[in-house]
Amino acid sequence: MLVIALIGVLIAGGLIAWLSEGWNRDWPKWVSLVTIFLAAILIVPMFSLQPLVHQPDHSEWLLIYDYPWIPRFGISFLLGLDGLSLLMVALTVFLGLVALISSWDEIDKRPGFFQFNLLWTLAGVVGVFVALDLFLFFFFWEVMLIPMYLLIAIWGHERRAYASMKFFLFTQISGLLMLVSILALVLFAEALTGKLSFNYFDLVDLPLDESLSWWLMLGFFIAFVVKLPGFPFHTWLPDAHTQAPTAASVLLAGILLKTGAYGLIRFTLPLFPGAANDIAHVAMLLGAIGVVYGAIQAFSQDDFKRLVAYSSVSHMGFVLIGIYALQEITLQGSVMQMVAHGISTAALFMIAGALQHRLHTRDMNKMGGLWMDMPRMGAIALFFIVASLGMPGLGNFVGEFLVLMGAFQVDLHIAVFAALGLITAAVYSLIAMQKVFQGTPTQGRSLADFNSREVSTMLLMMIGLTLLGIHPQPVFDMVEPTLRGVFTLTSPAGTWLGVSP
Amino acid sequence: MSGLQLQALLPIITLSSLILIQMMFIAFARNLRLTVSISVIALLLTALSFFPMVDHLPISATPLIQLDGFALFYSGLVLLGALMVTFLSYDYLRDQGERQDEFFMLLLLSCLGALILVSSNHFASFILGLELLGVSLYTMMSYPTRGLFTLEAALKYLILSGVSSAFILFGAALIYAIEGKLGFTELAGMNHTSAASGQFILLMGSTMIFAGIMFKLSLAPFHLWTPDVYDGAPAPVTAFLATVSKGAIFALALRLFTTTGLIDLDPLLRGLSFVAMVSILAGNLLALLQDNVKRILAYSSIAHMGYLAVAFVVAGKAGGQIMAMEAASYFLFAYFLTTLLAFSVVTIMSIADHEVDTTNLGDYEGLFWRRPALAAVFTATLLSLAGIPLTAGFIGKFYIFSIGVAAEAWLLMAFVVIGSGIGIFYYLRIIFAMTKAPRTDVKIEIPTASGWVAVVLTVSLVLFGVYPSPIIDLIGELMISFG
Amino acid sequence: MTESPLWPLVVYFFAVIALVLIILGLSSLVGPRSTMQRATIEPFESGVVGIGSSQIPISVEFYLIAMFFVIFDLETVYIFAWAVAFFELGLFGYLAISVFILILVVALIYEWKSGALDWGVKKRVGLRE
Repeated sequence: MLVIALIGVLIAGGLIAWLSEGWNRDWPKWVSLVTIFLAAILIVPMFSLQPLVHQPDHSEWLLIYDYPWIPRFGISFLLGLDGLSLLMVALTVFLGLVALISSWDEIDKRPGFFQFNLLWTLAGVVGVFVALDLFLFFFFWEVMLIPMYLLIAIWGHERRAYASMKFFLFTQISGLLMLVSILALVLFAEALTGKLSFNYFDLVDLPLDESLSWWLMLGFFIAFVVKLPGFPFHTWLPDAHTQAPTAASVLLAGILLKTGAYGLIRFTLPLFPGAANDIAHVAMLLGAIGVVYGAIQAFSQDDFKRLVAYSSVSHMGFVLIGIYALQEITLQGSVMQMVAHGISTAALFMIAGALQHRLHTRDMNKMGGLWMDMPRMGAIALFFIVASLGMPGLGNFVGEFLVLMGAFQVDLHIAVFAALGLITAAVYSLIAMQKVFQGTPTQGRSLADFNSREVSTMLLMMIGLTLLGIHPQPVFDMVEPTLRGVFTLTSPAGTWLGVSP
Repeated sequence: MSGLQLQALLPIITLSSLILIQMMFIAFARNLRLTVSISVIALLLTALSFFPMVDHLPISATPLIQLDGFALFYSGLVLLGALMVTFLSYDYLRDQGERQDEFFMLLLLSCLGALILVSSNHFASFILGLELLGVSLYTMMSYPTRGLFTLEAALKYLILSGVSSAFILFGAALIYAIEGKLGFTELAGMNHTSAASGQFILLMGSTMIFAGIMFKLSLAPFHLWTPDVYDGAPAPVTAFLATVSKGAIFALALRLFTTTGLIDLDPLLRGLSFVAMVSILAGNLLALLQDNVKRILAYSSIAHMGYLAVAFVVAGKAGGQIMAMEAASYFLFAYFLTTLLAFSVVTIMSIADHEVDTTNLGDYEGLFWRRPALAAVFTATLLSLAGIPLTAGFIGKFYIFSIGVAAEAWLLMAFVVIGSGIGIFYYLRIIFAMTKAPRTDVKIEIPTASGWVAVVLTVSLVLFGVYPSPIIDLIGELMISFG
Repeated sequence: MTESPLWPLVVYFFAVIALVLIILGLSSLVGPRSTMQRATIEPFESGVVGIGSSQIPISVEFYLIAMFFVIFDLETVYIFAWAVAFFELGLFGYLAISVFILILVVALIYEWKSGALDWGVKKRVGLRE
């Protein structure tokens, strides 16, 4: 019941927050805060289940719930939690908190409805991370879109109409392609096994016709790569991230992008292991192009949020490479990169939001010398900027390093090309730091530095990133059974050589 | 005629006699509340009169009427639609002067026509039902005195509808010329029996019938009347036209094509497939150009009928028939809920303005801040039309996808995907308009009856979007007794 | 069905056209020629000169009566059809036509009460004047 309770708490909290607006405009955010704390409390016992997995006779699944839902189609309400899901769910709730804090004073229009959308987005994302019925997965996949759309469309910046529409269209159309793929997969599976079922376990690694499985895989692949976002499908991201309100940017960059990567690991690879091997090379190439292209684009931005958005494209390229290198350590690296990037980008967007809140501009040329006005913010920003450029000792470094190390063995050229991204990342990140916080300060400006609420949130994230950087092993242990399963499906000949204790 | 057969006619008899009673009440004690109450009672009694037969399906009462699970399901939909429209019309017409009673009688007559249509098994009852439905509808369109274009809408629909009826009649005559029969069941498998010259005339005849039906369903390229009529007609009547009228005709068309074996005519099937694609594309693309909510809904209905036509195409493929009928039934159910809800929002918005219907996109700006509940309802409706989860529309879309994929109609599916993608654009435009800053602060009064209609429909929309099993099971059970 | 030859139809078609052409042609050849004069366009009414316009307002009740005539007269056609087959239809037919006539009677009462049969000032039920 834990997982259902978690989703239920978020949904109910959203409704209460909306209603509470009628009594007092300050209540919604407190309701939201309480809800997120409740959700966090629910996650704790899930972690306590974690050690079970390493007992020899236990399956990789910590929790499984299965209730009939639409029996006519063999659709069930099937939720499952394994290490990977748990990690992602924990990240979701944590970043939910960050998003809430970052928007604490920002929202003055319809706060109740804002919190409602925020919490429902979280509920949708949690659902995506735990759904194991393909129909249910698609259901949550779409559900998380609408509140996010409303967040951007109502509370966004100048070009919100355009950005929100683009975001919705990209994800929706690619989602429909995935729906067609899901249906085709289920129906062909029915022809094969005689059982109509959307159950993940019934569909994994079926002996499908090769070209058919290639086409089906493509439907899933496109949907997930759009969300990731991979190189040719990334164009919605800079607009959506830039125009979104801070909280929505944090959620988008922190967790919504991760649903794409999660989908690739959870669904695309195990469902079509053969076809995944066929497309691996192309996917890695797309990832590498994304890394370099994103970096170059980031370099040429004046808008601070846009810069961070493009840096996301660049960093998520590593995730794509890591997944499709199909090595043990690259898969581990990808997961690590997902978590670390989630935290560091969320922090950067929070800083961007704070800057916009104080200066009413995102243009870096109009900033400069802010360290003098806001030393705390400057120091924190420096930390996250070096984290995102891959400073050893922090989480991002571990992820990128593992990905590149594994990718070298698979394809030297792509790996070398992608490694260029590390250098360019240093260039654009440091330039941004320079433009915003260094230089001569404008006179007569009085800006409020980060207050204790913001600093404590930031501190939490800094501790998290540092822990990931110096002691990443617990994360690897958590996701090891899942990744091992994926690995054995995609490379039947290989033996598991991942980073293990 | 046995007792059972007479029982099968009971719903029609009940409704007819209650119409007569209502007419007498109007003649002797004209009172709008009373008239509307009789309407509601009539619809409920008619619905009740179906129940004794549930265990004896299928029954053919006279060669004209075939009462089976299929007919039962669509009768339910028709009655539901008529009931909702009755409530909406009451609020809409209440303050419109004194002679509004006959409107409700016409509504019942129209509903009677629809009931005959969904259970008709013969060309005679087909035409009878069609005309009863149509003639009452023209009058309903031009009945209220508000709005600038009600008469234009009614005339347009009258003339074009007349032409299409003529087409249907001529088509039926051609089929009769070759086969010498008019009953659907007797015509089963007719395209296998006749000689080559007869084949051609059969094809001509069925194409003509098909064209007539496509007109009524507003499938492209016979869709040109739709936006004008939707826009011109009073909002509740548009709701009736979009749901009850189209639903009944669709049910009839499905029965006609599957029982008579017309669906096996290959050229016809190819034509249908083409029509489906054109409708999806035309409806969605033309909706992009509109700034009028009713016209957007009109074009969106063209596109929805295109999705529904996919069911026809699939029904024509081997083994796809039952599944296609199930899919079409659920899709139509969702379409009923959604469309009724959309027009109830338009009605509620329009009642505030006594001159014309409130249809401009600009009038909906800021609705989220003026009337959050109404805006939320409208948002749910639009998302349902777009086929987004948590709404019944999603399950309907899912059904269409699943039959299309099962029949491996990939090209058609590509059109559905593209159409849905374009569709999102204009549905989101309305939602976005509602989130803008309001232009006025005038309070929107929500009338009681329409308000409850909206509540009931919204709850069902979400309920059957999240937990569709009851309806799916119901459809499954009822479809068993088809034929 | 036996195939009947098509040529009689074709002959018939041309014969009709020819006949029409002949009548028109002969009348213009043989008939009296008249040039346009003052009285040419005057309506001819038994030698009496017309007064006023032909577009006179007619009371709307005439149209109503005309419509009722169409409705009730057409209903008689159905009753005739029933009467012809009276013995074949038997009791069931009798019941059916009774229902039919009942509906007509109800419709007549409705018309009467709602003032459709009144000439001039309407006496309707439930309407405020």
